[in-house]
Amino acid sequence: MPLVTAYHRPASLDEALDLLSAPERVALGGGTTLNADRVPSDLEAVDLQSLGLDATTAAGDGRVRIGATATLDAVRRCELLPDSLRELARLEQPSTLRTLATVGGLVAKASAESLLLAGLLAHDARVELAGPASDASLAGLLAGGFPPGSLITAVTVDPSGRTATARTGRTPADVPIVAAYGRRTDGFVAMAVTGVADHPVLVDVGDPTAGLDPAGDFRGSRDYRLHLARTLTARVMQEMYP
Amino acid sequence: MTIDVTFELNGAPATVAVEPHHTLREALRRLGMFSVHYGSDSGETGAAAVLYDGRLASSDVILAASADGHSVTTVESLNVSPDLHPVQTAFVAVGAFQSGYSAGAMILGTLALLEEDPDPSEAEIRDMLSGILDRETAYVKPVEAVKRAAAVLRGEDTEPFAPLVLEPLTDGYRPAPAAGGEVPEASHAVPRLVPSREVPDMAVVGKPEVKVDAVRLAKGNPAFTDDIEPRGMLYAKVLRSPHAHARILSIDDSAARAVPGVHAVLHHGNTPRVKYASGGQSWPNPHPYDQVSFDDRVRHVGDRVAAVAAETVEAAEEAVRLIEVTYDVLPAVYDERFAMDADAPKVHDEDDTTHICDPERNLVHHITAQRGDVDGNLAIGAHAFEQTFRVHQVQQCPIEPHISMAWLDSDERMVVRTATQVPFHTRRMLAPLIDMDIKDIRVIKPRIGGGFGAKQEMLIEDIVAHLAIATRRPVRLELDRAEEFYASRTRHPQTITFRTAVDDDGRLLAQEMAIIGNTGPYGTHGFTVQIVSGLRGLTSYNAAAKRFDCHVVYTNIPVPGAYRGYGAPQAEFALEAHMEDIARTLDLDPIEFKRRNWVKVGDEMDIAPHLGERAVAEEELDEYPKVMSSGIEECVAQGMREIDWSRRGDAAWKAPADRPNIRRGIGFAFCMHGTAIPFLDMGGCSIKLNDDGSFNMLIGATDLGTGADTVIGQIAAEVLGVPLDDIKVYSSDTDMTPFDTGAYASSTTYISGTAALRAAEAVRERLKARAAMLLEVDEPCTIELRDRRAYAADGRSVTLEEIALDSLHWQEQEQIMGTASHVSPDCPPPFAAQFAEVEVDVDTGQVTVTKLVMAVDCGVAINPVTASGQVEGGMIQALGYAHCEEIVLDDEGRMVNPSFGPYKIYRADEMPDTVVYLVQTMEDSGPFGAKAVAEIPKDGVAPAVRNAILDATGAAINDLPFTPERVWAALQAQVPPAAGAG
Repeated sequence: MPLVTAYHRPASLDEALDLLSAPERVALGGGTTLNADRVPSDLEAVDLQSLGLDATTAAGDGRVRIGATATLDAVRRCELLPDSLRELARLEQPSTLRTLATVGGLVAKASAESLLLAGLLAHDARVELAGPASDASLAGLLAGGFPPGSLITAVTVDPSGRTATARTGRTPADVPIVAAYGRRTDGFVAMAVTGVADHPVLVDVGDPTAGLDPAGDFRGSRDYRLHLARTLTARVMQEMYP
Repeated sequence: MTIDVTFELNGAPATVAVEPHHTLREALRRLGMFSVHYGSDSGETGAAAVLYDGRLASSDVILAASADGHSVTTVESLNVSPDLHPVQTAFVAVGAFQSGYSAGAMILGTLALLEEDPDPSEAEIRDMLSGILDRETAYVKPVEAVKRAAAVLRGEDTEPFAPLVLEPLTDGYRPAPAAGGEVPEASHAVPRLVPSREVPDMAVVGKPEVKVDAVRLAKGNPAFTDDIEPRGMLYAKVLRSPHAHARILSIDDSAARAVPGVHAVLHHGNTPRVKYASGGQSWPNPHPYDQVSFDDRVRHVGDRVAAVAAETVEAAEEAVRLIEVTYDVLPAVYDERFAMDADAPKVHDEDDTTHICDPERNLVHHITAQRGDVDGNLAIGAHAFEQTFRVHQVQQCPIEPHISMAWLDSDERMVVRTATQVPFHTRRMLAPLIDMDIKDIRVIKPRIGGGFGAKQEMLIEDIVAHLAIATRRPVRLELDRAEEFYASRTRHPQTITFRTAVDDDGRLLAQEMAIIGNTGPYGTHGFTVQIVSGLRGLTSYNAAAKRFDCHVVYTNIPVPGAYRGYGAPQAEFALEAHMEDIARTLDLDPIEFKRRNWVKVGDEMDIAPHLGERAVAEEELDEYPKVMSSGIEECVAQGMREIDWSRRGDAAWKAPADRPNIRRGIGFAFCMHGTAIPFLDMGGCSIKLNDDGSFNMLIGATDLGTGADTVIGQIAAEVLGVPLDDIKVYSSDTDMTPFDTGAYASSTTYISGTAALRAAEAVRERLKARAAMLLEVDEPCTIELRDRRAYAADGRSVTLEEIALDSLHWQEQEQIMGTASHVSPDCPPPFAAQFAEVEVDVDTGQVTVTKLVMAVDCGVAINPVTASGQVEGGMIQALGYAHCEEIVLDDEGRMVNPSFGPYKIYRADEMPDTVVYLVQTMEDSGPFGAKAVAEIPKDGVAPAVRNAILDATGAAINDLPFTPERVWAALQAQVPPAAGAG
């Protein structure tokens, strides 16, 4: 755990943004990332729990709005969302952590291996931000980096479409070495892949490894990851176009 | 800055002053909630999970300040009366707790789940348990407990949890006359028990008694090392080497000492240099003594450099960061195959370490043993085979990391309260390091949260003792999860080569096993682990000639040590893979080929006496030890039926048409282990009678969660004619309990159990004598004890309470008590048949293990529920070894995956089906016929999975673990499974 030297619990977004304008302050969602960090560094925690950002609602345009402090467990339980996305939320973290981890934290962390983040990408996720930056697509945020001084308030997704998932790990519940999640709508396919870049990416289904140059590690070499990306995206396509 | 935090704790408001960095776990423990345990800082073990606003959540990653205004529930909320809550009762009834370290989390998760859904599916139960890592039970009995609790809360009746008794399929000696038959139906949590006609029915032994410590664990009562806090305690932290190999040129600790609250900083410059070997083994510890408490040389990343004691953990951590060390970084070697090269760096070149076989070559030991003309038989064999296997490094992963605390008591004696498997060895080994006499040291072993061999080591006790002397304050040191991975102990990597000659009838003529064993930077268990590899590799099958040739080498990897199985899993992986491939090459059925050669009742264990700490030459030996009991044929028959072995020939099953990328296979491994170390392992027991006819039993044996206290209590209860509840077991404390070598080598039931048997027999003789006096019977030997009474032959009786009151208070007073110890000349092997069923994704290499079946002959299972729990948990640890666990080092020797997740252990929602059969045999040398059961489950899974992959795909993989890319690469290469020149 980092050495948290002060704790703040703002009651409004403005107060939160004001607090977070100081560089030593860090937004605290569920704590599963921040508090698990073993690198010692002094920081102040700005706990977002009182901002009322935990609701998941129908957004009116057919999309679903997931509050930034909604937990992954809340996503798992949300009947507004497709079963496939809810299942990704279940797979993302075990039972004792998904009740704490938040969607905002998930987006901010941008883990290359995040299944749920891949699912959000495929569901055309847009990220609502408070602060100087305007709302942005999740894909754009992941590619361009998180705008400083801003705070994630919600993520909206389009729940429609036929979906399929394929993944490869060491064991059935392992964080996948590579996973593919596809969503088909009106002849269009959005295919997101984990484990092949610094963060989950949308790939061209016609050439799913184009432009990818994944870093290998002990779980999978570069070439093996590319092989998995091709194999798993093909499987997802086959399932969506039986 | 202190913050007052108020939350609802177990239904009542609680306020606690915390620092901003304090976690909810820390706050709860300060509030006396000792059921909330540390497993890691990142919450993935679930040992500290609580209900947070009604949902299961790891309190490790919740800031205490964040909890302000929330509701927190711990298992202590259920402890409103002496009785257990129905959920607690369900866990106790099915034997769901082994160490019980995460008991509170499991019970709370069950409460929350059943609150939401009174009739959850098994998938939902497993999902609930997915965040609570359990290294002991394979989740089999916890899942059963949740189902049982749900049924009880729905108002349904439940049957007592008991084994499913089966008819044997064989006559005990020959193969089953016919394969197949109906597979017995019962929950997989229920052990299948195949009784032996030679074993009489008994009152307590052989019964599924509830564990003696079950209530303590179910309630989360303070029982573990960390569950007391001596007044004025200081917290220790260790500075660890960032280099795999370096000389320490200087240490400047001035800034560290200046940190407020720091009381001591120890390192090689201010600590006596006393050589020792840290492996917890009998006196004299095997050489070389190549360690000191703090050295001027570091030999692996994570090696000790210095230690600090301070008022707070944070101050200790800050001081550690401020110690300035100047290193001369040296080249390092990690792979045992290159450690003996002429240009390899020398890991030990100091003058004061002796008994290294050849320090210039990093050769610690060269162990050889031979019987018969190996070279001659290898030359004349019709078929000769040679294969090399590589097994990797894994960690034991007890959910409770190493933790010790030490203080000087009022007599200025050193008291060490520690999570150890070897309290008596620790006391003896600690004495010279701290310059105290053994008599002035007391080691207390409280409840342990798992050990699996990692705690068969004097690992950190010297650090807390040194610091306690330096500060004259109690000092506590707990490893964090990363330290547990790279700075405690691990399994030895090995490179193993088998050479085997086979005649035209498929019988072995000669077998040679050559090992290069990697003992890392220190000897510790390096000698004895490789010895066990030799024992297991060369005693399982008969051959006219055998040879063992083992080089044990130093390297700069994290330190290997004892790990459940102790050299056997490595050897049996190589052996059973080798035998499988020979059978395929010779076009023989693998079971039939192995059966033709495996040892049977009456066969000699012919190389065993030539290996070990007390090895003897052939000419010094009167006779070789023999196998005196074996239930292997029954194990094979039961296992084949359960796994449906016939499907190996079913092409439609093996290549399902609807899943074109899937191939299925079934594998088998023959397993043979040992039971204790003959002439060496010793246990003691003392039993005394109390006023009410109950007994206190003091044992030095160390229950790691295995159920040893229960099993040994059952043995005594059987002898004394009382229920188990009348035996109050206490273990172990070097001031209070008799000596015991400790919990290792599959010895506890066999050795310590026999000591208990004999102590109970001594007490029984006095009880009979006193009963004869009271009943006015001339011959005490005619008295029988049963049902808490002593009966004369004519049916008259007195209660044990009456005997106790008479003997303690009335006439010819005496304390009826018995003390006994036991050491065995025998090492009766348990046997087992291990089966594995797998699915291989041939496009990705992903292997999914779908079923594991182990049928075990452990003699008489004193408690079939705890015995089956041992098998279930052992199998899943072994599956991790085979499938997904590995310590990965970078080029600088740093472990790249020192946390759960990257280091993958199985969790509840991804388990294969596991089924356990207990096949009884009567082992006359064991207490009530018992042999060992704790370690043999580690032996057969890796080869069975490997052979199942071979059956599924034709790919023979000789390196562990079977990770997707390795399997995929093997499938791409599709090396034929030939085992050499046929």
